[in-house]
Amino acid sequence: MALGKFLVKRLLQGVFVVWGVVTVMFTLRAVSPGDPANLIVGEAADPHLREQVREQYGLNEPIYVQYADYLQGIVVGDFGYSFQSGRQVEAMVIERVPATLELAIAATIIAILIAVPLGVISASRRNEPADYGATMFSLLGISTPNFWLGLMLILLLAVQLGLFPTGRRPVGLAEALTALATTGYATGLVVWLKHIILPAITLGTYFTALITRLTRSGMLDELGKPYVDATEAKGLPAALIRYKHVLRNTMIPIVTVLGLQLGTLIGGAVITETVFSWPGLGDRLIQALNARDWPLMQGIIVFIGISFVLINIVVDALYASLDPRVIDE
Amino acid sequence: MTTPDDILRVRDLSTRFFTQEGQINAVSELDVRIERGEVFGIVGESGSGKSVTARSIMDLVESPGRITDGEIWFDDAELADAVGDDYPDAVDGTLVNLLELPERVRDSLRGTAFSMIFQDPESSFNPTLTVGEQLAEAVEVQRRASANPRSTRARTREYSLASYALSTVLPSRKYVTPESRERAIELLELVGIPDPVKRADEYPHEYSGGMLQRAMIAQALAGEPDVLIADEPTTALDVTIQAQILDLLDDLQAETGMTILLITHNLGVIARMCDRVGVMYAGEIVERGTLADVFDDHVHPYTEGLLGSIPDLEGARGRLEPIPGNVPSLLDEEMADRCRFADRCPKAMEDCLEHPPEYPAAGSDHHEARCVLAETTYDETRALSEDHFGETERPAADKHAGPEEPDEEPPEEQSHPPTETTGGEHQ
Repeated sequence: MALGKFLVKRLLQGVFVVWGVVTVMFTLRAVSPGDPANLIVGEAADPHLREQVREQYGLNEPIYVQYADYLQGIVVGDFGYSFQSGRQVEAMVIERVPATLELAIAATIIAILIAVPLGVISASRRNEPADYGATMFSLLGISTPNFWLGLMLILLLAVQLGLFPTGRRPVGLAEALTALATTGYATGLVVWLKHIILPAITLGTYFTALITRLTRSGMLDELGKPYVDATEAKGLPAALIRYKHVLRNTMIPIVTVLGLQLGTLIGGAVITETVFSWPGLGDRLIQALNARDWPLMQGIIVFIGISFVLINIVVDALYASLDPRVIDE
Repeated sequence: MTTPDDILRVRDLSTRFFTQEGQINAVSELDVRIERGEVFGIVGESGSGKSVTARSIMDLVESPGRITDGEIWFDDAELADAVGDDYPDAVDGTLVNLLELPERVRDSLRGTAFSMIFQDPESSFNPTLTVGEQLAEAVEVQRRASANPRSTRARTREYSLASYALSTVLPSRKYVTPESRERAIELLELVGIPDPVKRADEYPHEYSGGMLQRAMIAQALAGEPDVLIADEPTTALDVTIQAQILDLLDDLQAETGMTILLITHNLGVIARMCDRVGVMYAGEIVERGTLADVFDDHVHPYTEGLLGSIPDLEGARGRLEPIPGNVPSLLDEEMADRCRFADRCPKAMEDCLEHPPEYPAAGSDHHEARCVLAETTYDETRALSEDHFGETERPAADKHAGPEEPDEEPPEEQSHPPTETTGGEHQ
């Protein structure tokens, strides 16, 4: 009950955030120079044709009418049509979501699998070689630029050693799984896996480094708290103290970071997707930017905004169930 | 030293901290003997080493601290039997020297042989688990311990990451069993928490300080320990709650007959609870004995100073007399081989420049004092000059000895002799 109320509150706040994103994007478009009709029919087009296009896309209406129309459209899930391809924006966004999600989740999984154990080792062997190694690794990971790491991985592992394929992936996860289910052959899945490993590492490295550091410092912090002594005094087994008490409490703030990062990964995989020609939202966003395809750009960014808000709400709910003090405040 | 009834004998215990500033001798060559079923009190200022003593017994001294020397003999025939073959040096009759045992055997004594109540209940519970769950864990430790004979316990207490991972998936593999939960509720009821069934499912932040301290006592009792160490159990609580908690400890002690080592800076608590008391100063016990010995027949000027800094309700004594100066540095290099109180002592003599042993003193058989005054009388002609120790006689504005000193007294008053005016100042 308390949790339900808490969620409703957060959901209402989220609606305002999304509205803000929509409005900012719309304003940017309204104040940016150039006639969007030029993008559709070209500058040398017949004025008559241009006028027709302006009429068709509603560009002749006063700005507040355009804004009201746009808002109205979004409420019912209509983001308009792409200038470039003329296709529906929502279809163009949704078809790219799976690839981006696959990449973001793969990167997060890699990050958690590496970072949490590394952080725990680092904290429990403080100032020993293992700790220095982990700290060194996370320093490197945080300071390596994404695009450079991606390029180096391609150069070294894909081009030189030939361990991984280059170029755009031929098959998505859904197709690969369908193939596995219908034909029983896992070749598609293997191809998919080979394609996703390098981008996932590239995207997840910064994240891995960050979580390692957070786990280490959070755990050291937690180990210094008086309740740990009290728990030791009870005679509990060391592993139970370390995992049930200390690590659990360490993970509470990390869950927040994880959630926020997942949002960033969905929106921020732009560079990685470009480097690996990954057919995701970031890749499409770059195309839209280059073509000044405003409806598509707006659609993608509003979608990213909505994902951010939803992920944040899920994280808050998770936080509240991990730390009972949150709801009461 | 050969009374058969001793449950705990600490001999020559030294616990040191190795910090960047140097070696700190928190506890130096401490001797304590605690009889089965008694309440032994240790009283002293902050930084006198009383908590470190407690932690040394519990094996909870944290890095950079280490027990560097000494013996802690614990009387437990069953344990002596179990470890006698593997560690013959650690066993003497039914006594076992805990410091000769490996870490895992010592750890297995926590909760069941020794348990501890901490000063601040609010920070001594894990904030994200219910109180009932945390109590049930303590019960579970005891249940598992008694299900295993002691000889095999240390070996079978393995609980690994895998066991924990398994328990998150399978409820039946959880560490805490439903039986332990029920026992936890009984314990909450025992310490006087109303509506224990509901309270067990609440989190520590939903409890008041006094309730939480009761819950902590319940948790410490869960393992049915032989020795309960209470480290400043009432310091963080309101005065009215303090009295309730002391009553509770009193009742429980009378019921179970357990031994209590009570650590406090509050002489009132000592007078209310203890059978015997040790006064600690700068890492050693400077005076010990029965309550009568220490409160009425005390020899050591430090004990006198502590007692002099308690406000008297009748106001008959006039101004409080704080002990001038501060607790001495415990840095090894700054410690001289002399009586550690000499620089603050109003009766320091030339003899005090040598570190005194413990002398038997006038009171009961238990009464001993680490002061030459137990042997000789104060001789003014041999007194040390005021500035013998340099600038150490500064007003002790920041760190007072003793409890509940009114702060309104201006610091410069403290070096003056007490005025003869009576009453009216501390009502």
